[in-house]
Amino acid sequence: MLKVKAGDLDKMGLLFERYHRELFGYLYHMSGRPDVSEDIVQTVFYRMLKYRHSFTGEGSFRSWMYHLARNVLVDTAQKNKRMAYHHDMVEYDEKIGGDLAADEPLQKEQELAMLQEALAGLSPEYREVLVLSRFQELKYEEIARILDTTEGAIKVRVHRAMNELKKIYLRIEQ
Amino acid sequence: MNCDNVKEQLPEWLNEQLPAAEKAVLDDHLAQCPDCQQELSATRQLWQQMGKIRVPEPRPELRMQFYVMLDEFKEEEKAQQRSTWAEWVHQLKQWWEPRQALRLAYSFLLLGVGVLAGYWLQLQRTPTVAYQQQIDTLSTQVEEMRQMMMLSLLENPSATERLRAVSYTKEISDVDGRVIDALLTTLNNDPNVNVRLVTLEALAELATDARVREGLVHSLTQQESPLVQVALADVMVKLQMKKSIKPLRQLLHRDDINDLVKSKIEQSIKDLS
Repeated sequence: MLKVKAGDLDKMGLLFERYHRELFGYLYHMSGRPDVSEDIVQTVFYRMLKYRHSFTGEGSFRSWMYHLARNVLVDTAQKNKRMAYHHDMVEYDEKIGGDLAADEPLQKEQELAMLQEALAGLSPEYREVLVLSRFQELKYEEIARILDTTEGAIKVRVHRAMNELKKIYLRIEQ
Repeated sequence: MNCDNVKEQLPEWLNEQLPAAEKAVLDDHLAQCPDCQQELSATRQLWQQMGKIRVPEPRPELRMQFYVMLDEFKEEEKAQQRSTWAEWVHQLKQWWEPRQALRLAYSFLLLGVGVLAGYWLQLQRTPTVAYQQQIDTLSTQVEEMRQMMMLSLLENPSATERLRAVSYTKEISDVDGRVIDALLTTLNNDPNVNVRLVTLEALAELATDARVREGLVHSLTQQESPLVQVALADVMVKLQMKKSIKPLRQLLHRDDINDLVKSKIEQSIKDLS
């Protein structure tokens, strides 16, 4: 990224290849919509180019990327308040879940769908820490930096998020 | 270590983010506490379940769109750089376009001609003398106008206008014969006493002129108003006009003379002789 900042814009291609899947994953878990996620990935990379001078090199490129992505996500959500999180997530899953269904028993698939629904029911705050720690496999320290808080606060939030998730999951199961 | 603490650390334990020392303590506690074990297995199940959630692949168009965007961005950037710096060069070039240069040269030439012409004119006339001459001409013209105005105003039927005309003589520096004649005529013939008095005043100031003195002496016998007679007598004494003794004496012999005037004239004759 520092090379991009210095003016070698082609290096952005490398960064895209390395990180766009991870970013897409995060956005997908957060928004539940692949189409929106793709748009946001594009926007985030555009902002990286445009605001490349604001990248200080302190902290990793990844945390900067998540930082930008969160901002875009907030902007998008504000622009599109009616956008429901889980609107077409299940639908999409069914589309891609063709081979999943063939390999695993139907029950498992249903369980997964329920879990996704439970995740969708979490508040964005809780969902975010779970997505970042479980799916994006970020260390608490990094999450704390992205969310601009302390490691301890993240610890507590992850714990509460898990409890909440459990509750919602059980409710759906019944 | 209590169970609440343990439960709080479970996600970390699952996440493999727990430092080795803390993990050992936690493991010890789990071995003794079935409640926490249950909690762990429930959380772990959920945790593992979450791991099975698949993220779809972004569509290949995303990559294409990204590279299109990158190219566009690079173009934009280049265009912007050009617009700041190249605009400068461009403007400079435009400045030196032959037609522009010709215009520039032409305007400089005009300016030069103007400056030279101004300088030359400055040299040509010695301005102070010229101005003086002009002012002199003007002031003579103004005086001539005043004379004209005075002369015509003296003919005016209104006494006020005639008074004004007389007062103009104070502003005329070079009084000529025509004005004196007019004033003397007024002094002798004007129907209004006030006008005659003012005229007398004006003539007294012009007494350096021989014609004025002669006229004044001559006027003594012609005045009928006692006011004017007294004023004339005063002027005679003031100017020490010996010549006036004779007409003053004539005046004394007149029948229509006022007693007061009589004594005044006698006094005047005494003063003069």
